[in-house]
Amino acid sequence: MSRSTPLIQTIGLKKHYQLDKADSPALEGIQLKIFSGERVALMGPSGSGKSSLLNLIGCLDLPTAGQILYQDVDTSLMNDKKLSAFRNKSMGFIFQSFNLIPVLSVFENVEYPLLWQNLSSGERKARVAGMLEKVGLASFARRSPELLSGGQRQRVAIARALAGKPRLVLADEPTAALDQKTGRDIMELMTQLNEEEGATLVFSTHDPLVAQWAHRIIRLVDGKIVSDPTETANEQVRP
Amino acid sequence: MKVILLAWRNIFRQKRHTAATLLAVILGIAGLVVFEGFLHQLMGSFRDSTILSGIGHLQVASRADYWKKGEYSPYSYALADHGKVEQSLQHDPRVLSVFPSTGFTCLAGAGTKSLSLLVKAFPNSRMYFSQKTNRRADASQLVPDKFYLGHLEAGEEPDPLQTGELYLGATAARILGVRPGDTVTLMALLPEGGLNGRDFKIRGLFTSPGFDRYFAYTDYKTAMDFTLQKAPPVLHILLRHRQDTAGVAGELAVKFPQDHVKTWQELAVYYRQVNSMFTTFLTIIQAILMLVTLFLLANSMARSVLERRREWGTLRALGTPAPAIVVMVLLEGILLGGVGGLAGLGVGYAAAGVINLCGGLPFHNASQLLSVDVVPEASLVGVAVLPLLITGALAALAPAWQAVKTQPADSLRELA
Repeated sequence: MSRSTPLIQTIGLKKHYQLDKADSPALEGIQLKIFSGERVALMGPSGSGKSSLLNLIGCLDLPTAGQILYQDVDTSLMNDKKLSAFRNKSMGFIFQSFNLIPVLSVFENVEYPLLWQNLSSGERKARVAGMLEKVGLASFARRSPELLSGGQRQRVAIARALAGKPRLVLADEPTAALDQKTGRDIMELMTQLNEEEGATLVFSTHDPLVAQWAHRIIRLVDGKIVSDPTETANEQVRP
Repeated sequence: MKVILLAWRNIFRQKRHTAATLLAVILGIAGLVVFEGFLHQLMGSFRDSTILSGIGHLQVASRADYWKKGEYSPYSYALADHGKVEQSLQHDPRVLSVFPSTGFTCLAGAGTKSLSLLVKAFPNSRMYFSQKTNRRADASQLVPDKFYLGHLEAGEEPDPLQTGELYLGATAARILGVRPGDTVTLMALLPEGGLNGRDFKIRGLFTSPGFDRYFAYTDYKTAMDFTLQKAPPVLHILLRHRQDTAGVAGELAVKFPQDHVKTWQELAVYYRQVNSMFTTFLTIIQAILMLVTLFLLANSMARSVLERRREWGTLRALGTPAPAIVVMVLLEGILLGGVGGLAGLGVGYAAAGVINLCGGLPFHNASQLLSVDVVPEASLVGVAVLPLLITGALAALAPAWQAVKTQPADSLRELA
C-alpha cells in the first residue's frame, strides 16, 4: 500500500443543499486522503454526510466548495463526457438498494459498464463470466434480477462494480437492506475481492459490526470528520 | 446497440401502461386506415366514373370558351383540324380511343306534351348503359373505351349500325308519356337562326340521378346531320393509364398550338371540389390524431422517465454519458410510436379486409345507397408511420431532458 500519493484527496470540501430556499449544510470543509488498496469505512448517524461524501468522491455530485483530486487530477475540471468515461473506467459503485437494471439479465447487468469500454465481445463475456463465478452466481446468469434474493442482488451489484477492474469501489450502506448474516457474507465477499482485485474500497455504514471490516474507520457527525485514525485527521479544518 | 436494446426493453417494462398507450395509438391509426381507405376507394371510383361519364381523360376544342358556352350551342366552335388531331394520336400506345361529340338544346314534343332537353351525341360505339344496378362504388360497371351514361331502365343497348334513335331520361319520358319504340319530335335552332325538326325513335330510357329529367343521348352522326354541323366542336381522348394525362396533354398543346386542350382534372369541377373537401377533412383528422398521439406518448414517456429517475442516476454512475441517455429516451418514444403505428396499420388493414368481406361500408349517393370497399393507399404506411416516429421523438424530448438535467446523485436519492 503506497503512502506517497493518495488515490483520493479532498481539500476543503463543502456541500450545501438548498431545501425550501433554506441553506442546509451536509459537508463542512472535509480534508481527507485515501490511499490505494485501503478499505475505508465512513461511519456516522443518518444525516452525518456519509452519502454526500461518497457521492462527491464518486463524481456523482458537484461540491459547493473545495476540490477532489484523483491521483492529483482535479475532477471538477472534467466535462460530462470525460467524467462519464472516468467513472466507467476508474470507479465501481455498490448501492444500498442494489440498483440493478430490471430489464437486463444478471449477466447483462454485470456486462453493462463494460459495454462502454473498448473491449472485444469475447473479453467482455469472459470477464463477466469470471466475476459471476467469483460471486457465486454463475448459474443465475440468464435470470432476471427481480427473481433473486436481496443478498444475491447485492452480489450481482458487487460483480458489476468490479467487472471493469476499477481502482476505486464506492459502496453506500451496502448491507443496510440485508439481514445480518447476509450482510456479513456480503462484507466477507467485498473484503475478499478487495484483496484479490486490489481495488480501494470506501463504504459507508452506521453499523459498527460492518465498519469492523475496514482497515480504517472515519467518523462523521454533522458533516464534519470527528475521528480518523490516520494523520490525515490532523489536517481536518475545525472551526 | 446497447442503447437500442435497453430502449426496446424499456418500452415493454410497464406492460399495462404501455399496452394502454399502444392500444389508443393502434385504434387511432387503424381508424385512420379504414377512413382513408374508404375515402380513397370512394374518390377513386368517383374519379373514374367522372372520367368515363362523358368527359374523357382529355378534350380538344378550337376555342377556350367552348367549355363555358359551346357544349350545347356548338355552332361557332368547329374543330377544323380534328382529323389531324385524331391521326396524330392513332398510333400512340398510350391512347385507347379518340372520338368526337356534339350537343344541342331542343324542344321535345310527343302528343300534346313538350319539354326542353339537352341532347348529347357520341358515336354509338362509345356509348354504354348498364343494365344491372351496381350497388358497389367501384369501377366494375365501367368500360375503359366507352362513356357510361346511366342505368338502362328500359329498351336496348346502343347498336353501332343504327342511327336516328334516342335515349331519353326516364323522368323526361314519364313527363312526355313515351316508352321505348315510341317517337318524339325534336326541334332545334340552327346556326343561322332557323328551326329544324325531326322524329326520333326512342331506343331506351335511362336513369341517372339528377340528369334523367333534362338529358337525352343520340348518335353523333345523326346529331351532326340534324344540326347541320360540318366539324365536331370537341374531341374526347381516352387513355390506357390516367397517369399519362399530363404528358399527352403537353404534347398536343405543342403539336396543335391553335387548339385548346383540357385535362379531366380541369373539366371535372365537381370532382375537384369534393376531392378537395375530403382531402382537407382527412388532413384535419390526421392532424388531430397526431396531436392526440403526441399527448398520449408524451404522457406515457413523462411517466416512464419520472418512475425511473433513480435508474438514470445508476446508468450515469456506471458510465453512461448524458447524450446516450437522451438518445435512449428518444428511442423509447420513437419505438413506442413506431410499434403503435405499425400495429395500427396491421389492425387497420385487417379491419379493412373484414369490412370488404362483409360487403363494404354504406354510403348514400344522391338517391342510391352504395357499398364502398375499404382500400387504403400503399403510401399510407409512410404517411401514418413516419409522423408517428417524429411524434414519438417529439413526445420524448422533454422527458429525455428531464432524465439528464439533474446530477446523478440527485437521481439516486429518488425512491424507487
